[in-house]
Amino acid sequence: MKPTDFRIWGLAPAWVIMALTLVVPIGIVILVSFASRGAYGGFDWGFSPASYAQILFEEDWDGNLAFTPQYLSIIGRTLWLAGLTTAICAALALPAAYTIAQAGGRAKAVLIYLVTLPFWVSMIVRVYAWIIILGNDGVLEKTLRSLGLVTDIDSLLFTNGAMLTGLVYSYIPLMILPVFASIEKLDPALIEASHDLYGSRFTTARRVILPLAMPGLMAGAILVFVPCLGAVLEPILLGGGKAMLMGNLIQTQFGGGRNWPFGAAIAVVLMVLVMIFLMVNALRARPEVPHD
Amino acid sequence: MKRILLATTLLASPAMAEGTLNIYAWSDSIAPELIAKFETESGIKVTMDGFNANEDLLTKLQAGASGYDLVTPSQHFLKIMADEGLLEDIDAHSLAAYQAVDEKWRGQWWDETNEYSIPLAYGTAGFTVNRDQYKGPVDSWKVLFEPEAALQGKIAMLSYPDEIVGAAQLYLGVPFCSEDSAEMKKVYDLLAAQKPFVAAYTSDNIENRIGGGEVAAHFWWDGNSMKTRANEKAPIEYAMPKEGLVGWLDSFVVPKGAANVENAKKFIDFMSTPENATVQYNYYGHSAPVALDLAQAKYTPENAPELFPTVPVEFSRTCSPAAQDLVTKVWTQLLQ
Repeated sequence: MKPTDFRIWGLAPAWVIMALTLVVPIGIVILVSFASRGAYGGFDWGFSPASYAQILFEEDWDGNLAFTPQYLSIIGRTLWLAGLTTAICAALALPAAYTIAQAGGRAKAVLIYLVTLPFWVSMIVRVYAWIIILGNDGVLEKTLRSLGLVTDIDSLLFTNGAMLTGLVYSYIPLMILPVFASIEKLDPALIEASHDLYGSRFTTARRVILPLAMPGLMAGAILVFVPCLGAVLEPILLGGGKAMLMGNLIQTQFGGGRNWPFGAAIAVVLMVLVMIFLMVNALRARPEVPHD
Repeated sequence: MKRILLATTLLASPAMAEGTLNIYAWSDSIAPELIAKFETESGIKVTMDGFNANEDLLTKLQAGASGYDLVTPSQHFLKIMADEGLLEDIDAHSLAAYQAVDEKWRGQWWDETNEYSIPLAYGTAGFTVNRDQYKGPVDSWKVLFEPEAALQGKIAMLSYPDEIVGAAQLYLGVPFCSEDSAEMKKVYDLLAAQKPFVAAYTSDNIENRIGGGEVAAHFWWDGNSMKTRANEKAPIEYAMPKEGLVGWLDSFVVPKGAANVENAKKFIDFMSTPENATVQYNYYGHSAPVALDLAQAKYTPENAPELFPTVPVEFSRTCSPAAQDLVTKVWTQLLQ
């Protein structure tokens, strides 16, 4: 057998699985987004861009077709929230990962274990834990009160802050781990060299540590940003479901709205946004690939 | 010989499938002791999954091959499922269970010829207030939709528009499933004006939120409110708004193509004997549309006034696509 044959047949199972589990379902979603809606949910095959047009133009209360900013504002809010979550995760993960990387052998193993520990518990349970912490008369409120820091506070639950806290909490391990992987490989001699050359602590962090941690930050940003775009749990359970995100919007269209093609169209838009993000990231990361 | 063995194994696998029953019902809606009893009596292994919204159930059935043998939609969703061919015709009227069904629930618009469904429970959707936090009257939807200062910021609604829009329509005198966009604009205006005072739109974990006082008023169902008051001594009251309550009735139906139709029928019959129906009634705490053993029934108008409404009850209808679009529009604009 020629080596090329082996390469083709050896990879064939992977290609088949990729095709069946990735390409075909995405293809179906795209086809549904162009189909026409069934009267009570479901869809009829066909080709109509109506669902995409609906994202921008919809009948107003008087029955006139008019530009509607509502879906764009939901998309914008989703991007903003995912971006903010990613930024906060990055800001917190960098010092955390650096501390872990500096720790001694045993402590390092324990700290890494602690970072991954939450994954052993179901996501829903962890989000509910935040309800107990942030709720009226919850752990946080009681603590603040007994410390005399506050006397009377509005509910902490069902706020944007609660939602953001939940998102950061849920996804920060996905940022810490890749950043840790980059920083751990960092040669301490480089930091010494920076100090020898009269680099201040800040300059060292900015000019030496940060650039070398960048591949990890980029990988972490993808791992945090992408699932945040589709977050459904935290917005409802912690944010109070008062402002829709794309995940909730898609859910509404498939459920109560009984408009599958429109739900699929929004899902495609979400997917395209994710792909744009990944491609920009990949293009930016390319020159930083080490050459050794 | 080996071939014969293999053949019998292959033949035996569907037979083994007859030993199971997969139920998808409202969360915590079926008494666990009845499931255990049914398993012991019949030798059938039951698996239970729960849902919190009719929409979730409908979507799952429309997606096809749900794997469930028995599900429990409300009347307005049952009608869609029957019309869309999503249900198995089980000749429900020929089941033993049918004889137990109260006359007034037979031949209803959602299953006129009683081919598909045997009702399981019925009740109302309204709202509950926490009496530690709110002392005022609860005789109108105005309390919830146009709240006074004591309730502002302390209200929770469900995360689906279905019954909420219905309640707003009752309050405004707009007919259910209205296709009039001007009327639905009024519904939107009402909900939009209420939104600043709403703490959350969520359908999970309602017991703790209202019972524990996280919010002071919660859109909710009669029986759940009653059980939380009676069993957990929560200081709550289910309102009887003079404009009326939104009615619902859940039925057992079998999804098209279910693998264990006979077991599903057995379970329906099992659940509808007076003895078991009473156990179910005492557990679920919603009104029973089948005959009960009244000597054993736990809830009476005296100890469970929630189940015996003193105001009109208007049952949710199956809306036309045009009307449903208006409902979705109200909801999307509300939460945009």
